Amino acid sequence: MTVEQERSLEGWDPGRVEGPDLAFVVERAFDYRGDVTVVHRDGREVVGYLFNRDVDAGEPFAQLFPRDGADAVTIPYADIASIRFTGRDTAAGSSYAAWLRSREAVKATKPASRA
Amino acid sequence: MSVPASQMWTVATYVLRQKLRRRKRYPLVLMLEPLFRCNLACAGCGKIQYPAHILKKHLSVDQCLAAVDECGAPMVSIPGGEPLMYPDIGRLVKELVARRKYVYLCTNAILLKEKLEAGIFEPSKYLSFSVHMDGLKPEHDEAVCREGVFDGAVAGIREALRRGFRVTTNTTLFDGASPMRMQMFFDEMMDLGVEGMMVSPGYSYSKAPDQEHFLRRQKTNELFNKMLSNPKRRWKFNQSPLFLQFLMGKHDFECTPWGNPTYNMFGWQRPCYLLQEGYAASFKELMETTRWEHYGHKSGNEKCKDCMVHCGYEPTAVNYTFNSWKGFKATVAATVTGKL
Repeated sequence: MTVEQERSLEGWDPGRVEGPDLAFVVERAFDYRGDVTVVHRDGREVVGYLFNRDVDAGEPFAQLFPRDGADAVTIPYADIASIRFTGRDTAAGSSYAAWLRSREAVKATKPASRA
Repeated sequence: MSVPASQMWTVATYVLRQKLRRRKRYPLVLMLEPLFRCNLACAGCGKIQYPAHILKKHLSVDQCLAAVDECGAPMVSIPGGEPLMYPDIGRLVKELVARRKYVYLCTNAILLKEKLEAGIFEPSKYLSFSVHMDGLKPEHDEAVCREGVFDGAVAGIREALRRGFRVTTNTTLFDGASPMRMQMFFDEMMDLGVEGMMVSPGYSYSKAPDQEHFLRRQKTNELFNKMLSNPKRRWKFNQSPLFLQFLMGKHDFECTPWGNPTYNMFGWQRPCYLLQEGYAASFKELMETTRWEHYGHKSGNEKCKDCMVHCGYEPTAVNYTFNSWKGFKATVAATVTGKL
């Protein structure tokens, strides 16, 4: 497992949360560069990218672009029971690691090709 | 300095109008991101790491223009993502030019030749292609994580110049950059015939794949001093000379995070182009409700500690020019003599 994967919240399920714990989980979801599954208190689920939140608003809310391409939805904190980190973490660093590997591979072949 | 006189005049009169109105905070350049999709995945970039359904989305032209009108800045920079992948880029630029906005279309130029041949742009003093070039061929191709991009960008630049477009370059520097090779790069860009160059240290985006090569303040000062302490007369920079002097350690500027406000599909980004701490629904809300005192070098915010990026400090340099005789004289002196 790479350092990036260890740091990633991909796959995290904090379970049912309330109050400061809910605010903490929403904050982590806001910082997460992958889709999450927001579980409403009535059991409904919406999967998408959580791009904004305002914990200081009169009625704190989170905003999310659903994965199905629909317009952004606003969800009050009061309606959120849980957030699961279900999508792939797109900021996990794999593209740079792959580039480094391919560059090293190219470098390794250069002396041979000159010979 | 290579900024055309008409553009300098527009910016100068705009800034003076803000001063006369006693506006404490005003925007200088709108950073308009119509999409996050890109045809590269550069190691130092933290702008494109999103799920596929977000990368497929983009703003409509009407949304873009509403943001431009609401913001009121005289210059509009279109980064991204790669703006040449935006399906309505031709129409968007045409509308911005019609509004007499000075547009910097920031592109990696992979698609530039193709788009120019398709005839979707017309040359204008209001439009400049700002081509991403992070150094000579080996350094650039390494920075963008793909071989051959430098050559493609050069071909795009040549084609744009041949067709009479304004072309500038934008260069982000990281730890390990060689002052001597950067000087060679400046020569090569001027040989190509670009109008001017823009340089800035990179920002350590928390989401960028490469976290190891961002410049800290002292290293930034050292690098820019070595690179620019004896600049050739032929090197033209399309940016404030005071900003370059700041990078060399000759000014102690504070960040102006509202100077280059950013609008994208998520809304108005708080507090700046580099940090994503939330989004406001309107430009007014952004300006009035962002806790600006939490940002900038002197705020103690860890995320701002080493930042010397153009989007925060170039507006400060421009403001300094118009805020004091000392700043004005320093700008005129650097412009006239070419000395930094």
